[in-house]
Amino acid sequence: MLQVAEGTSQGKTSRRTGRRLFLGIRRTFSLIFASRTATVGFFIVAFWVSAAVFAPLLTPYSPTYQDWKAPNQGPSAAHPLGTDELGRDLWARLLYGARIVLVVLPVSQDLWLPGGTALWGVAASLALGAFLGLVSGYKGGWIDEVVMRLLDAMMAVPVILLYLIFVAAMGASAVNVVLAIAIVGTPGIARLVRGLTLDIRTRDYVRAAETRGESPWYVMFVEILPNAKGPIIIDAMLRVGYAIFAMGTLGFLGLGLPPPSPDWGSMVAKGREFILAGSPWAALWPSVAIASLVVGLNLLADGLREEAMRYQ
Amino acid sequence: MLVFILRRMLLLLLTMLLVSVAVFLITEASPGNVARNVLGSFVTPEQEASFLNQLGLDDPAPVRYLHWLVGSDWRGSRLVGLPLKRLVTEKGFVEWWARLPDGNLVRWKLDGDNLIAQIRRPDGAVEEVPDNGRWRKRADGSSYFWGLDAHNRAVLWEKGTKRKAWVFVVGSGWKEVSGGAMDYLPLKKGFLRGDPGVSLRTGRPVAKSLFIRLRNSLVLAGIAFAVVMPLALALGIAAGLREGSALDRSLSVGGMVFSVIPEFAMGIFLILIFALWLGWLPGATVFGEKAPWQRPDMLVLPVLTLTLIELGYVLRITRASMVEVMRSPYIRTAFIKGLPYRRVIFKHAVRNALIAPITVIMLHVNWLLGGIVVVEVVFGYPGLGKYLLDSALYKDINALEAGAMIMVVAAVGTQLVADILYTFLNPRIRYR
Repeated sequence: MLQVAEGTSQGKTSRRTGRRLFLGIRRTFSLIFASRTATVGFFIVAFWVSAAVFAPLLTPYSPTYQDWKAPNQGPSAAHPLGTDELGRDLWARLLYGARIVLVVLPVSQDLWLPGGTALWGVAASLALGAFLGLVSGYKGGWIDEVVMRLLDAMMAVPVILLYLIFVAAMGASAVNVVLAIAIVGTPGIARLVRGLTLDIRTRDYVRAAETRGESPWYVMFVEILPNAKGPIIIDAMLRVGYAIFAMGTLGFLGLGLPPPSPDWGSMVAKGREFILAGSPWAALWPSVAIASLVVGLNLLADGLREEAMRYQ
Repeated sequence: MLVFILRRMLLLLLTMLLVSVAVFLITEASPGNVARNVLGSFVTPEQEASFLNQLGLDDPAPVRYLHWLVGSDWRGSRLVGLPLKRLVTEKGFVEWWARLPDGNLVRWKLDGDNLIAQIRRPDGAVEEVPDNGRWRKRADGSSYFWGLDAHNRAVLWEKGTKRKAWVFVVGSGWKEVSGGAMDYLPLKKGFLRGDPGVSLRTGRPVAKSLFIRLRNSLVLAGIAFAVVMPLALALGIAAGLREGSALDRSLSVGGMVFSVIPEFAMGIFLILIFALWLGWLPGATVFGEKAPWQRPDMLVLPVLTLTLIELGYVLRITRASMVEVMRSPYIRTAFIKGLPYRRVIFKHAVRNALIAPITVIMLHVNWLLGGIVVVEVVFGYPGLGKYLLDSALYKDINALEAGAMIMVVAAVGTQLVADILYTFLNPRIRYR
C-alpha cells in the first residue's frame, strides 16, 4: 500500500517535472519566435548544430581526403564549395570543423569527448570561476582580498597577450585551446558569482543552513550556487559565442588545433596565402562560417534578452 | 586623488612584475626551446647546447630571470675582476669593455694558446698586445681566464681545449668555429635599467626593433581611433534619439553584427572585396624601409577593418547611454519649460550621455589591442602585435617580455587615464 502510494507520487512528480520542462521549452521557443533577430539567430545556430551532428551524412568526403588532381578549385558539382591547396573538399572540412567547435573535443587521436571544444572551454571557465567566486564571496576576509586582487591583475592583462603566451608556450592542441579559453574567461565569471554570493549570503535560508550546522562547502554549493544560476546561465550563453570567436582567432594565429584538423581559424590562415594568387575560396568559406555562427549566437542571445526584458 | 594615482601606479608595477614572472615561467615550463626554433629541427644536440651556452640560456631559470630584470654586467664584472663599461659607438652599436686600473678599456681574444688583449685608446684606436700573464691556474694544472669578447659577452676561456662552437656572424648567419671558450655570459643592463636585451631570434637589440614596431602600431591604432570615435558617437547619439525607429534598429543590429565578427574574418572579407574583386587597394602591407604614412593606400584596409569592428561596440554603448539620458526627468523638465530641441539635446543630453562611452572606450583598449594584433597578422603589417606573435612562436624570451610589458602598460595605463578622465567628466565621483 505504502509502496504503491510512493510509486504513484513518484510517477506524478516525474510527470510534473516533464511537463514543467516541456512548458519551459515551449516558453523559450515562443520567446525566440516573438523576436525577429532571435529567430534569425536561432536558424543560423540550428543550421550549424545540425550540420555538425549530421556531418557524415551531408558529404561523401572525409575532411582529410586529398584530391591531388584538383587543388585550389572554385565551387563545382563534385565539390560544392571548392577545394583547398591540397585538394581537400571545403564543404566537408567546414562540416567537420563545426563538429570540433560544437559537438566533439578531440583530446587525442583516439580519445574524443562529446561536447565541443568551445563548450568545454566555457564549462571549464564556469567551474573554475564559480568556485573562486563562491569561496571569495562567502569566506570574505583576506581570501577574498587575495583572490580578487589576483583576478584584477589578470583582467588588466590584454586578453590577446594571455592567449599568445599560453598557447604559444604550450603548443597547438584542443586541450590547450580549452585551457586558454577557460583561463581567460575565469575572472569575469568569478566576479559575477562573487557579486551574487555577497547578495545571497544574507538571505534567511543561508542563515538557516548555517544554524543547522551545515559545512561551509554545503552552504556554498547546495544553498548558494543553485540560487545564483539564472544570471550565470545567461552569462554562459554569451560566453559560448565569445569562445567560438576566441577559437577562431587562436586558430588563425597558428595556435589552434594542429593540422590536418579541420579547424576553421587554421583553414583561414592557410587559405590566406592563396588569396592573392587568385583562389580565395579556401579563406572565404571558413571566414563566412565562423562569422555566421558567432553572429547567429549573438543575435539569438540579444533577441532573447530583449524579449525577456519586455516580459518582465 | 594623488594617493589614488600612486596606488594605481603601484598596482601597475605589481601587474608588470606578475606578468613578467608568468611569461618567464610559462615559456620555461613548456617543451621546445629557442635553439630548435632558430636553427631548425635538424639541429644536432651539440649545436643546440653550444647555442644555448652562448646565449647564457644554460643558467638556472631564477638566475636568468634576474639577469633579464637587473642585468648581468655586475656578475660579469665580478667574474672578470675588473669594472665593466658600456659604450655606444658612433654607428649606434653597443659595446662592452673592461676598464683597466690605468683607465684604458680592454677586451680579449684567443689566438691558439695565446691570450691577446685588445686595448682601446681614448681616441678610439684599438691596439693588440699579448696578455698571457692573465691566465689563472686551477688545482689540476689547467689554465683558465674570464674575459670579455667582441660580442659583448663575458667568456670563460681554457688553455689548450679545442671545442667546436656554433657562432652567429652578422651578415653570414651561423658558422662553426673552434676555440677555447667554455662558458658565456651575455652582458646586459637589464629591463629595470632600460635595456631589454638582444632578440634571440634576430640578434638585434630588442629596444630598437620594438620602437619601430610600436610606432607602426600606434599609427594604425591612432588613425583607426580618429575615424571611429566621431563616427560612432554621432551615429550612437542619432540612434539613441530615435529609440525604436528603423534607423535605431538597423544601426544597433548592424553594429552588433559587425562588432562580433572576428577581426580576421572581417579582414579577409575586405581583402576579397577591395583587393581581389574590385582591385582598388593593395591587400597586404609591405613597407620595406618606408614609414607607414608614406604608403597611405596600404593603410586603408587595416584601418577599415579596425573601424568596422570597433564602430559597433562604441555605437551601442553611446546609444544605450543616450536612451537612458533621454528618459531622465531633467530632460523632460527642459522640454516642458520650453527650451528649443537643439539646445536640450546638445547642452543637456549629449554632455551627460558621453560620460559612459568615453570611459568604457578606454577600458575597451584591452580588446582593441587584441584586434590590432590580429589585423596586423591578416595584413602582414609590421607592428607590435606581429612582433609579439613571432617572438612567442620562437620563444624569443627577451623580445616577448619587452613586448608583453609594453602591452601591460598600454592596457593598465589607459584604464588609469579613464578613471582620471571620469572624475573630470563626472565631478560627483571622488577616488580615495
